[in-house]
Amino acid sequence: MNQIAAEMPASALLVEMRGIDKSFPGVIANAGVDLDIRHGEVHALLGENGAGKSTLMNILTGIYQPDAGTIHIDGQALSFRSPRDAIAAGVGMVHQHFKLVKAFSVAENLHLGFGDKPFLVSRSTLRRRTEALEQRFGLQISPDAIVQDLSAGEQQRVEILKALIRGARILILDEPTAVLTAAEALLLFDVVRRLTADGFAVIFISHKLDEVLAISDRITVLRGGRKVATVPKDATDDRNLADLMVGHAVTPQANDRRLMERHPAIALHDVSTPAGQDGCRLDSIDLTLFSGEIAGIAGVAGNGQRELSEMLSGIRPPVEGAIRIRGVDFTGRDAKAFAKGGVGHIPEDRLRSGVAATLSLLQNAILREYDAPPISAGPWIKSSHARQFANSLLAAAHVSAPSIAMPLRNLSGGNQQRFVVARETRIASQVLIAAYPTRGLDIAAAETVRAELLALRNKGVAVLVISEDLDELMSLSDRLLVMYGGRLIRERKPPWNRNELGMLMGGVGGGCRR
Amino acid sequence: MTSTSNVARSSGWRVQRLPTIDGRRRAIAYAIAFVLWLALVGGGLSLASFAVRDIVLRAISVTLGSSYGIQQTLTLAAPLLLTGLAVAVAMRIRVWNIGADGQFYMGAWAAAGVGLFLPEGPTWLMLTLMAIAAGLSGALWILIPAIGRAYLGISEIITTLLLTFVASFLVYYLASGPWRDPEVPTQAATARIIYELPALNDGAHLGIPISMLLVIGFGIFFNYSKWGYEITIAGANHDAAEYAGIPVRRRILQAMLISGMLAGLAGMIELTGVVYRLQGGMSNQYGALGIPIAAVASGSISGVAAAAGFFAILLNMGVSLQTQGLSVHSVLAITGLLLFLVAAAEAAARFSICRMSASLAKIPASGASI
Repeated sequence: MNQIAAEMPASALLVEMRGIDKSFPGVIANAGVDLDIRHGEVHALLGENGAGKSTLMNILTGIYQPDAGTIHIDGQALSFRSPRDAIAAGVGMVHQHFKLVKAFSVAENLHLGFGDKPFLVSRSTLRRRTEALEQRFGLQISPDAIVQDLSAGEQQRVEILKALIRGARILILDEPTAVLTAAEALLLFDVVRRLTADGFAVIFISHKLDEVLAISDRITVLRGGRKVATVPKDATDDRNLADLMVGHAVTPQANDRRLMERHPAIALHDVSTPAGQDGCRLDSIDLTLFSGEIAGIAGVAGNGQRELSEMLSGIRPPVEGAIRIRGVDFTGRDAKAFAKGGVGHIPEDRLRSGVAATLSLLQNAILREYDAPPISAGPWIKSSHARQFANSLLAAAHVSAPSIAMPLRNLSGGNQQRFVVARETRIASQVLIAAYPTRGLDIAAAETVRAELLALRNKGVAVLVISEDLDELMSLSDRLLVMYGGRLIRERKPPWNRNELGMLMGGVGGGCRR
Repeated sequence: MTSTSNVARSSGWRVQRLPTIDGRRRAIAYAIAFVLWLALVGGGLSLASFAVRDIVLRAISVTLGSSYGIQQTLTLAAPLLLTGLAVAVAMRIRVWNIGADGQFYMGAWAAAGVGLFLPEGPTWLMLTLMAIAAGLSGALWILIPAIGRAYLGISEIITTLLLTFVASFLVYYLASGPWRDPEVPTQAATARIIYELPALNDGAHLGIPISMLLVIGFGIFFNYSKWGYEITIAGANHDAAEYAGIPVRRRILQAMLISGMLAGLAGMIELTGVVYRLQGGMSNQYGALGIPIAAVASGSISGVAAAAGFFAILLNMGVSLQTQGLSVHSVLAITGLLLFLVAAAEAAARFSICRMSASLAKIPASGASI
């Protein structure tokens, strides 16, 4: 099958990036970065948020032009003026968020915007061509399936195939497992190994150390825009990589699982809702969260997690059943009442619904407490107290900003997230609902958030963590509830049985996700 | 695809977007826009062999150089302050009240009805009743668009705009039909309303300070009240407002009703301060002008004061230019050009041109955010 990939290497290196500099106003994103990619290797690109991984890959795919430095592919010096140039040179990228037309079939998506096809083409021709292409690359997906009916893993395979049929020899996968279940991730790894066996090179962007160690041949670590090291997999381990990424030694947080005096903090009694955005209906849920515990909700996204967290934080009132906080009936009360009742909520799409990014840090800081003293008095907001509050919140979040009048969107994504976490833990005197609390954070920031969740628990707060990351859930939780199809189907306590949990989460598929 | 061996190390000039603009930058940008405007208009007019210097000087002296001119400008500013405020209040929650003209007509209509058909009473009482009637009538005229927008997701842009025509024709019909003053057969207007807003010493009427106070009052209320904060959050991000338990639909409804009320009040003030008779066409597009005024104020309530004043000067200058032989179309083109340049200045103030240093020696200590 070797003839598919490169003709025999003209150079020992497939990609050679040398001395790449790229700066944006006020920020140096890449400084003197070197990157070598060999034929047939899986090369992981590891780094915290803002380390410069995306910039480097955007340069390799022609989206950005470097300020300085050279790119050689197969020994030939090239400069990409647009993504089209990069595709022509054999660089293909699979983005974290798929760029597929959901209402179209697999065959239509593969041929969309693809020059190498007849101008007018019938459905059956498309299907035949697609089948032939799938055969050639050994990636099977039904050509007639509509993309929105496919699982995340299958959609990803469509993206990979799309890159391959446009002639990619270097395939960049941007955090490819972020959207996959454990089982789907294993299938992806099979695909990656098959491709590299055929001579393709794969650049694997991630900040999950275990995956990087499982799949890569070599690992390049970036920090602060510079290359820290390129190491062969066999010469390193996870501690070593974490230290390289962060720049200092990392001590992982452990849950000591102390027993505490417990009382019910928030309880859902036989609660049901109609289907929400994910098209998932909550179906007679009984759930009591106790003070001083961390309960984990394990499940594939789209099985009712969003609805559950919106219900527990008062955004979505139940149509049936009752909600009590510390024994007081809160059924039908609004999110403001829940916040005053001591319920903090880190929403899953916090950068979209947890903040108003165009408004100032001040206006975002007081979002949960503007309606209570000392910030408000009667119908008024006392600006001196509001300013004081905003400054103390920024200090607590370890976010430094030139002014609290600055729009929130000028903060980096990680800082915005820290801001929301600090704001919500402040009001969480009884309960904290944390949906995917470490998603998108780098190792150090994720550790800080986990430490904060544990500290809250030890202060006697009931913490609910919703996540797809089983490792995180198993290390944090005192008990785990598995969510599937809008219902809590099982409860488990440690010691954990990872395989069983994975099966329960639904090797079957997407639950009620449409 | 090109093959070059090296990408040049660049050290050129770059355009950079600024996170915030300070007052000084904005003032400079506006000043540049104004100078550019004078140059373009002056150049254009002298090509058409007008005596540019005379025209400009006279336009300025007529508008701002005499107490009559200033009073005229202020009289034009009163309705503009209120319609600008009306549009700005709705804009704050991301709603476009395109139909301020319609609410203006309905406000004038209700005020005229009170003035014409209620038993006679003391002027202050009747004026108060007329103001209340006008506010309610303006609010009522936007009620259906408001309910449609808040609860059914129907675009307020279409509904408020279309209702403007209904209001305008309704007033034409009444003024030329049932409510027409039979004693003045040459005019399609109602009888003269006997209640007038008290004149201030220099001839301007009381509606001017009232409008100004309303703008200032709303400016303070929006910036320092919980209600104003909730409106601002709901306007900036609907999802975040719902997340914080802000009743978004109710706030949309309230903001739109207040918007309609203010536009209705503008109609009453124009009726009792300037026109004195309900007649077709009396809105002079003041409601429509509220839209660019609110846009120039860019969401700031107190900015409406400056923007409305600016528009009043423009309108007044336009009148003066027409008396000097310029066509209506040229005047519109000239004012339009100024608006365009001001809007461009506002956008340009957000960017700065800076020199990028060729050396990349300074690397931030921690991971830079990208």
